Amino acid sequence: MILGVDIGGTFTDLVLVDEAAGRLWIGKELTTPRDPAAAVLTGLARLAEASGRSPSTLARVIHATTLITNAIIERKGAVTGLVTTRGFRDVLEIGRESKYDIYDMFLPLPVPLVPRERRHEATERLDIDGSVLTALARKDVVAAGRALVAQGVEAVAVCFLHSYVNAEHERAAADELRRRWPALAVSCSSDVAPEIREYERTSTTAANAYVMPLAGRYLARLAGGLADAGAAGSLYLMQSSGGITSVDAVRAAPIQLLESGPAAGALIGAFFGRLTGEAHLLALDMGGTTAKLCLVDDGRPAITYSFEAARERRFAKGSGLPIRIASVELLEVGAGGGSIARVDELGLVKVGPDSAGAEPGPACYARGGVEPTVTDAALVLGYLDAGFFLGGAMALDAGAARRAIDRVAHRIGADTVRAAWGIHDIVCEQMASAARIHVAEKGKDPRRYSLLATGGAAPGHACRVAAKLGLRRVICPPSAGVASTFGLLVAPPKVDLVSSYVARLDELDLPRVEKLYEAMAADALAQLAAVGVAADQVVFERRGDMRYVGQGFEIVVPLPSGPFGAAERDTLRSAFEAAYLDAYARLIPGAPVEALTWRLTAFGPAPSAAFLTAAKSGTATGDARKGERAAWFPEFEEFRPVPVYDRYRLTSGVTITGPAIVEERESTVVVVPGATARLDPYGSLIIDLAGGPDMAPRPPTLGAPRETRGAPRESG
Amino acid sequence: MTERFDPFLLEILWNRLIAIVDEAAATLVRTSFSTVVRESYDFSCVLTDRAGNSLAQASASIPSFIGTLPKTVRHFIARFPVETMRPGDIFITNDPWLGTGHLPDVNVAKPIFRGDEVVAFAASVAHAPDIGGRVRAPDAREVFEEGLRIPEMKLYDAGVPNAGLLELLRANVRVPDQVIGDLEAQLAALAVAERRLLALMDEHGLKDTEELAATIHARSEQTMRQAIAALPDGEYRNELQTDGLAVPVVVRMTLTVAGDSIAIDFTGSSDQVDRAINVVPNYRDAYTGYPLKCALAPRIPNNEGIWRPITITAPPGSIVNPLYPAACGSRVLVGHYLTTLVLGALARALPARVIAATGSPVWCVNLAGQSRRATRFAAMFFINGGMGGSGRRDGPSATSFPSNVSNTPVEIMETVAPIRVLEKRLLPDSGGPGTFRGGLAQRLRFQSLSPKPLTVSFLAERTKFPATGLFGGRDGAVGGVKIAEQAVDPKATHIVPPGAVIEMTTPGGGGFGDARKRDPERARADGEAGYVSAASRPAPARTGARASGARRPASGRRASAAAPGTARASSSRTRRRSR
Repeated sequence: MILGVDIGGTFTDLVLVDEAAGRLWIGKELTTPRDPAAAVLTGLARLAEASGRSPSTLARVIHATTLITNAIIERKGAVTGLVTTRGFRDVLEIGRESKYDIYDMFLPLPVPLVPRERRHEATERLDIDGSVLTALARKDVVAAGRALVAQGVEAVAVCFLHSYVNAEHERAAADELRRRWPALAVSCSSDVAPEIREYERTSTTAANAYVMPLAGRYLARLAGGLADAGAAGSLYLMQSSGGITSVDAVRAAPIQLLESGPAAGALIGAFFGRLTGEAHLLALDMGGTTAKLCLVDDGRPAITYSFEAARERRFAKGSGLPIRIASVELLEVGAGGGSIARVDELGLVKVGPDSAGAEPGPACYARGGVEPTVTDAALVLGYLDAGFFLGGAMALDAGAARRAIDRVAHRIGADTVRAAWGIHDIVCEQMASAARIHVAEKGKDPRRYSLLATGGAAPGHACRVAAKLGLRRVICPPSAGVASTFGLLVAPPKVDLVSSYVARLDELDLPRVEKLYEAMAADALAQLAAVGVAADQVVFERRGDMRYVGQGFEIVVPLPSGPFGAAERDTLRSAFEAAYLDAYARLIPGAPVEALTWRLTAFGPAPSAAFLTAAKSGTATGDARKGERAAWFPEFEEFRPVPVYDRYRLTSGVTITGPAIVEERESTVVVVPGATARLDPYGSLIIDLAGGPDMAPRPPTLGAPRETRGAPRESG
Repeated sequence: MTERFDPFLLEILWNRLIAIVDEAAATLVRTSFSTVVRESYDFSCVLTDRAGNSLAQASASIPSFIGTLPKTVRHFIARFPVETMRPGDIFITNDPWLGTGHLPDVNVAKPIFRGDEVVAFAASVAHAPDIGGRVRAPDAREVFEEGLRIPEMKLYDAGVPNAGLLELLRANVRVPDQVIGDLEAQLAALAVAERRLLALMDEHGLKDTEELAATIHARSEQTMRQAIAALPDGEYRNELQTDGLAVPVVVRMTLTVAGDSIAIDFTGSSDQVDRAINVVPNYRDAYTGYPLKCALAPRIPNNEGIWRPITITAPPGSIVNPLYPAACGSRVLVGHYLTTLVLGALARALPARVIAATGSPVWCVNLAGQSRRATRFAAMFFINGGMGGSGRRDGPSATSFPSNVSNTPVEIMETVAPIRVLEKRLLPDSGGPGTFRGGLAQRLRFQSLSPKPLTVSFLAERTKFPATGLFGGRDGAVGGVKIAEQAVDPKATHIVPPGAVIEMTTPGGGGFGDARKRDPERARADGEAGYVSAASRPAPARTGARASGARRPASGRRASAAAPGTARASSSRTRRRSR
């Protein structure tokens, strides 16, 4: 038996699986912010009762939570201090000195988690190779500790210059602090993010220290509660990177939990993509407030190593606190079912990023919302059934939706239906635009991708988004509305480790690099053993952050598995060039290359999760068509009766021709005119769009300019 | 007017136009060699209508390029009439007067054909990795010293590359493969913009861009005009002095609001100088227009319409309208001040939408010589001063404005240059006191570890004249440069012996409003954090005290590292005459 638990801001979602019986049960509780474990334990008790299974038979509990993210956003972490190298207490505040919006002179900049009066300096200094220039003055550390304790701190971050090469001083300082003040939570930058760049490293370490006391208390409470329920020793946690890990590993680095929920969502997208045989997916998870996009290539979600927490403006890159951890790379767009439409100063209709959220929610929820939302538009267009929202558990008020849409319609002199379609079209355009630019930044060819729709609102918008992007296929996995919780069940155990050693490739000491990898591998094996993975099941991946000498940013280069000896120097250069070509389409001839950071990822085997698909391949139960209703499509410019299907009764042999609507409890799939849909053997609905004018972008070919290569070479 | 585009369709089309230039920009970034392009967003992409009026400009570019590319396109059109253009033509220039004000920025534009008709232009500009000439020299006397100048020419003629030009370009730059590679990246961006625009036109059955352009321009112009009309009519004057060279440079501005338009004139400014700090009109207009957009229409997408209500003039031969062949490679040293000048002029009319003067232009140090292991190296590091305070909040400390240039991390600095950084910290008391104080400056101290003397030069301003406060806010501290404890001329090139310590102290931002009205809680927090030392807290209010900006010489606040403070300092004055 496995239990997956995802604590979100509003709801705590649970899924209980009996693998042997191929059955699963889904639960939903209101999140209990003051004691988040309470909702988990209540939910577990309820599921145990519903399933007739005892918690004592749980082999694993896999957990994702927004607790850490919210603690940083709401500034509810511990009173935290910093001990750093003399001369550099302001690094955390100076940051990178640039702005994320050039036209807003009043833009809010992220405020450091540790204010200046709690940032203390200690005399010590390392050289760039880690050698000690000035020994650590322990008395400075003690003085800092005294001052911080007097200032009421509960946690301390220790971050010294060049500690990514030599952790000695940080460890000595941390030992001193822990010895004298055992109750302090102490976090060293050389443990949390041993990467070059002092601001990003300090920011990550400060954030980690900031959430350590809170995470420690919470994990102890949850583990204790599970033990009391009879499920002792079974708790695992989902990390931002999309891997699971042990409670002990997380206690020292709780910052790894930052994006655990969204990571689970991306994983389930990748899982169903693999089943469908699609190597390249654009995973679109559209919920109530936002839409999240993730590129999935060869079955694996894109990973980023530079990430931000607590953005001042949620959708503005660079407006948050930098966090250097491995994280599933998600692009967030302010486009969800609750996104509000309004008329702006130019007289244009804008949708989002403001959202009606869950409270009061869209106008049609009839909970006091009056602003027109994306969900109201879908209801007016006939895409949603007022009587079958959440499987009929919640009635929608179509009149309220029309009245809300009219607020916008009247301002610009449009009729209700035109306005509803306009809102629907604009929100789809926003998602498509964001995806188009994201794909261009990655240097990928968008036409290779299929759109995978999860989240309650995505299946209703996916066909239009795909058409705007020139994609030909949309995949709607089953139970899209709760899919992200399933992601917890398909995650492999995973450890991401990092070391910095800066050197030009032509001067690189390869045995030294190999030693770094050996040390990281030993650490990874120990961590994976703690979650029950045998050494012979572990798969290692090596990556290096490299760049041409003189550049300011590195690319992450997949490296061969090693061991590295002198013979691998050229291999590393070729690996860099392959990755550079992939990212930037061209090389800089003759320029030297340097490596800065070395990464190791270690995976255990992913669960097969056969139960997820077995549970879905139901038997045929006759005609799935449950009726028809009037829906509006721009192809007809009028309401027409459209067949409505019950997804749970669809069989894999049948083909549906659009326009059509397919309903399940948590979401509604809109199959647009001209498209065809069929069920694959794993329960996903595969929609193929009609071939229209090829709006698909082509990869940037250099076309005519290529001929400049024929121009005369450098003159002597 | 009756519009063919309803507000929904217009939103879709407009949004798509912006997405097109942003995608073109992403393509440019992805395929360029230049780190300046990648890291400082020193590039831009635009789409214009067939007359060269901008439809949309990429979101991420720095203010230097606001509105310059459409002007460049119009220069191309004037030289090569639209009727004579052929599919496959691509135009190029880096002429400072036609482009962006200095030679390294290479501008290219491509007419977009639908059938036989030019329906639009795609254009891009990017800072080339090199353009020949001397390496960044503020002491260049004529543009000829600054590199290769390409007048408006055809880079491609009906698809055929101009081999002669390419050969000449290759022969004149230090890194020809990178320069040509970046040019290809720019052309790749144009190709993306062209394809996407044509697809958009097909999808929506648009035969030309004129009606769409007219709609976008009309709406933007109308919104800008409404914002201007809300300002009281009148003449708003402002002036300031920059450190300049041997003598300060004076920039004088009269900003006239008449109904729903603004006219800005620079009569009375210094004459052009025989050094590289002259600001050609396109660059002048960018940094003059930028604060108007920030203050009046920050959220309207950048296009031709918002600039129509604004005219900017300056006497020929002045520092802000220099005549060929003036040198202009270090235009930033005067250009960044223009933003402050405009905000100061607008202050009385628009107190809630402006900020006090910022400790800009951006500072920079160039280092060259031998590395610790006796190989050659060259490196360039940026650091910033404090931003000005505003009616809403304190100015952010150590933040780039009006440009947007990031620093280099200390650990990277030490890795790429033979230096040890001893200190990089905020400077207490450097922000001008005020109800909302100016942002703090910073001090960077580093020691040369090179076995040989280093060649060191700086971009540094406001070492003599501080960033002025507004509405009774006090001035920020001036900056200064020291080598081996001695104040030095920041405009000169220095040879620094091994082991010597270089100290750069940037200027602080000006304060906003009377410091005695500062929220006591903020004042307490300033003290606790050490942003303001106990000795510098404002004295309690005195009856009859003058509540306007401080006029004391810079040396009164903190010993200037360079030339001693002068009695002519701090002459930002704001005056309004009713009409």
